[in-house]
Formats: sequence, structure tokens, C-alpha cells
Amino acid sequence: MTEIAVDVSHVSKKFRLYHERNQSLKSAVMRRRVSVHEDFWALQDVSFEVPTGSTFGLIGSNGSGKSTLLKCLAKILYPEQGSISARGKVAAMLEVGSGFHPELSGRENIYLNGSILGMGRKEIDRKFESIVDFSGVENFIDQPVKNYSSGMYVRLGFSVAISVDPDVLVVDEVLSVGDADFQKKCQDKFSEFRAQGKTVILVSHSLDTVTRMCDHAAWLQNGHLRTVGEALDTVDAYKASL
Amino acid sequence: MSYIKEVLGARELLSNLVLREVRGQYKRTIFGRLWSLVSPLASMLVYTFVFSFVFKVQPAKGDPSGLDVYAVWLLCGLLPWTFFANAVSSGMGSLVANAGLITKVYFPRLVLPVSAVFSVAYNWLFEMLILVLAILLVGGFVWPWLPFVVLMMVVLALFAAGIALLLSIANVYFRDTQYLLSIILQIWMYMTPIVYPITLVANQSARIGGLLGTPVTILDIYTLNPMLHFVEVFRTLLYDNTWPEVSDVVACVIWAVVAVVLGVWAFSRKEKRLAELL
Repeated sequence: MTEIAVDVSHVSKKFRLYHERNQSLKSAVMRRRVSVHEDFWALQDVSFEVPTGSTFGLIGSNGSGKSTLLKCLAKILYPEQGSISARGKVAAMLEVGSGFHPELSGRENIYLNGSILGMGRKEIDRKFESIVDFSGVENFIDQPVKNYSSGMYVRLGFSVAISVDPDVLVVDEVLSVGDADFQKKCQDKFSEFRAQGKTVILVSHSLDTVTRMCDHAAWLQNGHLRTVGEALDTVDAYKASL
Repeated sequence: MSYIKEVLGARELLSNLVLREVRGQYKRTIFGRLWSLVSPLASMLVYTFVFSFVFKVQPAKGDPSGLDVYAVWLLCGLLPWTFFANAVSSGMGSLVANAGLITKVYFPRLVLPVSAVFSVAYNWLFEMLILVLAILLVGGFVWPWLPFVVLMMVVLALFAAGIALLLSIANVYFRDTQYLLSIILQIWMYMTPIVYPITLVANQSARIGGLLGTPVTILDIYTLNPMLHFVEVFRTLLYDNTWPEVSDVVACVIWAVVAVVLGVWAFSRKEKRLAELL
């Protein structure tokens, strides 16, 4: 029996669909209610286990609940029912470069963003060289990031995020950033991750990416878990349904 | 308990966010940090003109310091007040302003309002330093009371942080909060003895006596204001150069504790749903 890195057990997540939402006091008082809403279950009773050291893909069409599940894994959203437990440190890459301050230099932003992602100062000091190296913006590291090109911005954000060195990495479709050269670097980094026996959970629309990178996968449809298991089988099942 | 531990674990994040605010604030300005001194200076000039020169408000001489400078007397109350007002308003807006961060990255959200309060406190520290210099210049003997002033600054910062936490949550639900707050702060300032001495209120209150046949006087209601106690304490220490009333200090500490406990309690209850609400 392999070890379990992340255990998703009976997770349900409810959103409110607002027909009317009163975000001002006047309307709340006049209408005598804060909102009129109905419940929408973005996830219903989803359970699966992610084995340690695997690269796990989440697939499904738009609105199937992939991103919601990912946000639950990243502790940004909290499920109404069920629980998610993970062994070790979890880091999520849903958006890179969030929290960059445009007026501050690349250097200052590495420290800022690093600490948002939960790294200590010493840890960042130690990794600083490799972060800058990986991002390829050495010459501009003391420039304010507002002067960066969007590619540089994203690369720097990605480099900080990847350096968190978690046990479980949760990734949204950020793989498609940067030029071909940088994408290659990212792929290598993920392979390195796997080689170190770390767990990666990946959401992607590209079935190619999933079959190429993942060994396990789960298929979500309308908030329900359809199948979970070997990546190839899951992708085939998903393809068959299209 | 684990919640408190997690927040304590985010100390570095807190200091980095404060640095982000402090460094980013006056970028691309010629005078930089000097701007943070201009606004209190302008208020000082205006209030001194209106209340001291035109209305002839005369606060009692500093006892035992013997100081008799309206502008300095005013600043002893005005600087703590402006800190409080700015800290509460920027703390209140911090969650909405950082919505992008909250919906994308996990971290203890408590650091956002708290870092906003801290970065305002950083500017306040400079203002207070200048004030101390001014007091020394006009002949006050303030040295022995400085440690206690710093202590009370911490208490006021805690009070402001507690209120900011409460309001930041309220502002996520109702964006009215920010507009309401600016009006409340304006009224609140004039309900606090900052530009005039409390003795004027006491005189009026004594003349009118108990309200509606009850023994409750205007002064009784007036002293319910927590900021009154803070202003009194800072003024006694800085302007009069003596120990403040124990009752005022106790009132400040109690208000601060109540605000922090309520703020953290409300915040920790709603924190998990923030990403959805924003």
C-alpha cells in the first residue's frame, strides 16, 4: 500500500447564486434582507486519495468544479462538508506574481512574495540566487517590477512560487507562461519534483499535458467525481464522453 | 490556540507587508516621507488659527510644566487622534484592497488589517518625535515620561487594530462602512477634547445639570468616549509632564483589550469565507 499524500474525503462545496445581493446598507434595509439566493453545489461528495510521489491530474470540462476543488486544496476556500487532509507542506500556484507591488524592485518583491507564500527571511536569502537565476531577470532585479515585461513579471512570480519547496504542490494552468525556453525549464523543474518523491496536483484543460505528465488522474463532471485512477484510463474515459 | 500560533508564525509576512506599504507609499514623490508630516502640520495651522486666534480657546497652562502654547497643546491630542483615524480607515479597507491576494494565496488574513495599522503607526512615530522636539524647544521637560508615552502608543495601536479588524469584516459585507466611517470619524473628533479643553464641556454640563430630571449629566455621556481617555493621557504626559490619572489609563487599557478580543473573535469567525465574499 502506498502512502497517501492528500486525502480528500466527502468534500462538498456550496456557493450561493445571488438573484439579488445587497452590498449596501440602504438596499439591505429597504428590502429587509441581505440577499436572495439559491444554493449551488460546486462539489458534491468528492472523495479520492492522492498517493505520495504521484503527479495527479484533475480534468473535466468548464464548470465541473476543478478550480473549486483546487482552491479547497489550497485552503483558500473551505468545504461545507467533508475534509481535506494533507501530509506535509502544501503550496499552491493559482496565480503567479499576486501580491507584487509595482513600485518596488524585483529584489524587494521576491522577499515580499516569498513571505506571503510562507517562507522565512533566511530561507529566501538562501534561495535568492536560484530564484533570480531561474527567472532570468538578473539584469533588472533592482528595477521596479512595473517596468517589467509581462513575461518577466510572470517568470519572476513563478520562480518565487516554485522555490517554496513544498511536499505537495498544487498547480493551476500556470504552466503555459513564458516562452518555450522557460516552459522547458518549468517542465524540468516538475520532473525534478517528481524525482524527489514529491506530490504534484495539476489542473489542466490540455489532455496532452495530463497524459504526458500525470500518472494518476481524477475526472470531475458537474461537481461529481466520475472516475479516479490511472491517468490514461481516466483520460480515455473522459475522451469517450465527449 | 492554533489560530494564535499561526498568526504569530506570520510575523515576517507582517513586517514585509508593512515595509511594502511604507516603501511604496511615497515612491515617485520629490519630498518623500516629508509628506507624512505636512498633513498634521497643516491641520495644526488651521486649528490654531480658528480655535486659538479667532475663537480664543484657552486651555489651562501645563501643570507642572508651565507650557502655554496652543499649537503644542493641540498636537498632543491631535497626533494620537489622526493616527487612530488613519489606522482605522486604512485597516478597514485593507481586505477589499487586497482582494486579489486573498482569492489567490493562502495566508493568515489577519495580517492585512494589522499591517495597515502598523504602517500608519510608522508615520505616527515620526510625527511624535517631531512633537517631542517641539515640546523640548518650548521648554517642556518630557524625558522621564517618554517610556510611558511609548507604552500608551502601543495601547492605542492595539485599540485601533481591534476596531480596524471589526470594520474590515463589516466592510466586506457592506461597502457602506467606509463612507459611514469617514462621517463618524469627523463627528467623533469633535466629540473628543482635541481642539478645545474638556473644562469647557464640564462647565456647560455643570450649568445644565442632570438631563431630563435624571442625575446623568452631559459630561457623563461625554466621557463614555474611549478616545477622550487616550487624549487625556497623552496630553498629561507630554504637555503637563506628569503622571496621568490612573482611571484614564485603566479605561484605555480596558477599551484596547475589549477591542482586540472582539476584533480577533469576529475576524477569526469570518476569515474562512473571505475569499468567497470578496
